[in-house]
Amino acid sequence: MVKWYRPGTLDEALEIRARETVIPIAGATDLYVRYRRRSGLAPEFSAPLLAVGHLTELQGYSDENGELRIGAGVPYADILSDGRTPVLLAAAVRELAAPALRNVATLGGNICNASPAADAACPLYALDARCELRSASRARTLPIAEFITGPGRTQIEPDELLTAIIIPPGPGRVTAAIDDDATTRVLYRKVGTRRANALSKLAIAAWASLSGGGVESVGVAIGAVAPTVVRSREVEADFVGSLESLREKTDAILAAYGRLVAPIDDQRSTAEYRREVALNLVKQFIEQSLLA
Amino acid sequence: MSHTISAPVERLDAREKSRGEARYLADLHFPGVRKCRFLRSPAARGTVRVLQAPALPEGYAFVCAADIPTGGRNSVQMITSDWRVFADGDVRFLGEPLGLLVGPHAGVLEELAKAFTIEIDEVEPAFTEEDGLACVGGPSFGTDNLFADHTIVKGSPEDAFESARLVVTDTFRTGVQEHVYMEPQSLVVLEEGGRLTIYISTQCPFYVREGVSSAVGRPVSEVVVKQTVTGGGFGGKEHYPDTLAAALSVAVLAVGGPIEFVMERGEDMLFSAKRHPSTVRYRAALDENNRVVALDADLTINAGAYQSGSGVVLQRAMFSAAGVYDIPNVRIRGRAVCTNTVPNDAFRGFGAPQALFAAEGLMTHIARRIGVDEVDFRRSHLVTRGSITVTNGTIREEVILPRIIDHVLDASDYRGKDAACKWGGGRGIGLSIFKHGSAFTGSGERDIIKAEIRLRKHADGRPEIIASTVEIGQGALTTLRKIVATELDIPVADVLYHDADTSRVPDSGPTCASRSVAVVGYLIEQAARRLKSRMNEPGEIEVVQRYEHPPELVWDQETYQGDAYPSYSWGANVVEVEVDRYTHEVRVVGVWTAYDVGRAIDSIVVQGQIEGGASQGLGYATLEKMELKDGRYQQVSMADYMIPTSLDFPAIESKLFDNPYPYGPSGAKGAGEVVFDGLAPALASAVEKAIGGPVHELPVTPERIAELLRGRRETDDSIRPEWIRAVDKG
Repeated sequence: MVKWYRPGTLDEALEIRARETVIPIAGATDLYVRYRRRSGLAPEFSAPLLAVGHLTELQGYSDENGELRIGAGVPYADILSDGRTPVLLAAAVRELAAPALRNVATLGGNICNASPAADAACPLYALDARCELRSASRARTLPIAEFITGPGRTQIEPDELLTAIIIPPGPGRVTAAIDDDATTRVLYRKVGTRRANALSKLAIAAWASLSGGGVESVGVAIGAVAPTVVRSREVEADFVGSLESLREKTDAILAAYGRLVAPIDDQRSTAEYRREVALNLVKQFIEQSLLA
Repeated sequence: MSHTISAPVERLDAREKSRGEARYLADLHFPGVRKCRFLRSPAARGTVRVLQAPALPEGYAFVCAADIPTGGRNSVQMITSDWRVFADGDVRFLGEPLGLLVGPHAGVLEELAKAFTIEIDEVEPAFTEEDGLACVGGPSFGTDNLFADHTIVKGSPEDAFESARLVVTDTFRTGVQEHVYMEPQSLVVLEEGGRLTIYISTQCPFYVREGVSSAVGRPVSEVVVKQTVTGGGFGGKEHYPDTLAAALSVAVLAVGGPIEFVMERGEDMLFSAKRHPSTVRYRAALDENNRVVALDADLTINAGAYQSGSGVVLQRAMFSAAGVYDIPNVRIRGRAVCTNTVPNDAFRGFGAPQALFAAEGLMTHIARRIGVDEVDFRRSHLVTRGSITVTNGTIREEVILPRIIDHVLDASDYRGKDAACKWGGGRGIGLSIFKHGSAFTGSGERDIIKAEIRLRKHADGRPEIIASTVEIGQGALTTLRKIVATELDIPVADVLYHDADTSRVPDSGPTCASRSVAVVGYLIEQAARRLKSRMNEPGEIEVVQRYEHPPELVWDQETYQGDAYPSYSWGANVVEVEVDRYTHEVRVVGVWTAYDVGRAIDSIVVQGQIEGGASQGLGYATLEKMELKDGRYQQVSMADYMIPTSLDFPAIESKLFDNPYPYGPSGAKGAGEVVFDGLAPALASAVEKAIGGPVHELPVTPERIAELLRGRRETDDSIRPEWIRAVDKG
């Protein structure tokens, strides 16, 4: 038997969370796979389930003081259809799983699952997203890069719930496909095991703001090539400057990312391939999005 | 295609299957049914020192080799009978059944399985062909691990190599492929009316009957096999279900039935039979006119732990190893190597895809090596009517390959696109040319299968096909009824055809080998012709039709000499690709196919075969990867083992050429496998041009392309295609 709690409000949910060990569950698309047993047998969870996907407080998609606030329980399909969704995130969601899964899987679930290959995480790192956490007694927000600490590990406390993802204003948060004259250039590429309904071998989400013939600022996130998404302000600083200097610094930038990625061999790809292609994707961003 | 029989009708199973109304085995309910769970070997090879069952609760039982009834034997009769029902004393592959746990609750069975004590003295296992040939850990079979070792010779290859101007060598390898039929292996075994009765998802009800009968030591008359609606097979339900049926049958006789087994997807992917990995090593001799005058092929397939059908798969691979080319002097050695992997067995193409990938690769590599046009080079070597085959048989039919090739070249604008492709420039277009023999190899149809069908006119006037050929998604139900309907000039839906039941249908052979239409369909057509004049007679009339071997065919099963197949289906494919320069992902941008399958009985059914075959063939070529680690496959879920989706490949262009075959119904030949065979070689050729280097191994994954490009960067910056070693003797 699987024990479920289905609280009516966020406060009730947080009370249960404070009281006992439970597994929060929204779309169930990861958890039901992870805990599955042979067909005909109910999954065997290590703790009771706390349904949160239906909570009104975890729904909602708003733009408050320039900050996009996406409820942790909002399914991907809604994120994809909302015109405010940044193009980098929309591109990731469009290639994530399949339509039926996107109807139930949530952004919050993907982040709390904290897979190094989580497709939505990569653009959120690039966009400096923050995670809004609530417990019965407090609220806090953490940058996503701090929230996720390793494969399957986050900073969430046993009494907390992830309530929303906040995307601050910034040059990377453009919502439309970019033409060549635009000042912001973006690249999202997922290298999946096939062209649809596939898990990622690796992915890149990158943006750059151009002005006066040079790069003003940049955000580059590379997923599934290290225990957590790779993002480096230090290397990003090397992008800044004239395009000519970027051309000259390209090899140094690639070498720097080469030191940051630490991919693994698994059943979907090889460490060697992931390493090479991660750098190739940075190269593609530089060559095709910036220098072309 | 203009022929009236080819005009499509609605598939007779289309509505129930698309509405979800079809009742597969897992949808059937048997009162009192118990579940079961295999207890499997945790080691790939070794001696079982301890196998200790926990205390079993009421209603639970553990059945193993000791429970095989007197008169039975611990082996499943297939073409050979080496596959054991349960491991006994030693284990030969990881996952080999040690026994079967039976009981009412699946969850309890899981707990009980964990409570067994299993201790195995491990022996170093052999996993690859090389390991097997080197007898790593000592031979598992005979003295050399060779389940089969045959050589066929045509002409005088040694003389030809000696006088050759140029000798080239080349090697090709292919990987494992999993069938991924939509419905997993499923069956229920019980005793009904004193007979052991097996409801099962299968391609071959009579194979199941034979396998069970031999294992439990009961005459075939006391074993009844009833095929249930079968959700795909691709060869994976040709012999493997026999092993499951034998195990459950032993259990039913020991502890009572009914017992049900519906295989988990992951378990099915881990432990059911796969497509054989292969290696083909060639030497080819060219004369001063750039003609291939001799070919020497050394072909090995990894059979896995049991021989099962590997000997026959090997034969088809050997007989395909010279492709569609008329080479005067040929020597082909084929070996099926025993290893400690899950046994490999039938899979759409049955050895031919591995050999054709190699043969086409060899011919294009030679053409590039000597600097001639690869299409012209291959065309100048094509077999024609009257050509002598590698088994010294004769091609008796008109070979219309030139028309087929012209068509795909024109339809794809191959010449224009190929000229525009820069070697290594990220785009490429490739051509493959191939054939597939319909029906069993050699005299198998005459000497082994001896197919029989019956056509019965019921008292109400409706005819019924009584045969063991089964619908597995390929359209047999529709096609075979259409043959009768056309002959009798009645609506297709008026022809009756029920799921096969061995107690009421004759053995018309297994549903495999592109034989259902070509062989069984022909018997049905002949029976319908005989019945036609008697349709107005009152009461029930039955016509029996038995297989007759075309009289001009000759075959010696000892020496493999003569006509290996009664007829061939032919094809040419063009595949166009782009290879991403950053990710090395292969994007297939165009697929053009053309086939001679004699005459299509139903153009849409054949179209279904063409599209499914192309997708499966391209998946085999690019996506479908199974890696063995310590004896265990690593890609064993639908999330990790990648079969193509509809977005992976473009629409498949296709054309059928009418070339009626005198011993096929309305002139039809086989169409189930030829549509798989050509995709991988065409794709490989296209990728070679796109990446500017050779492809010697399937699947061509992005990881492999990255390796190839890395290897080339490290060794040689030249883009000259000098990858095949050649000894210039002129």
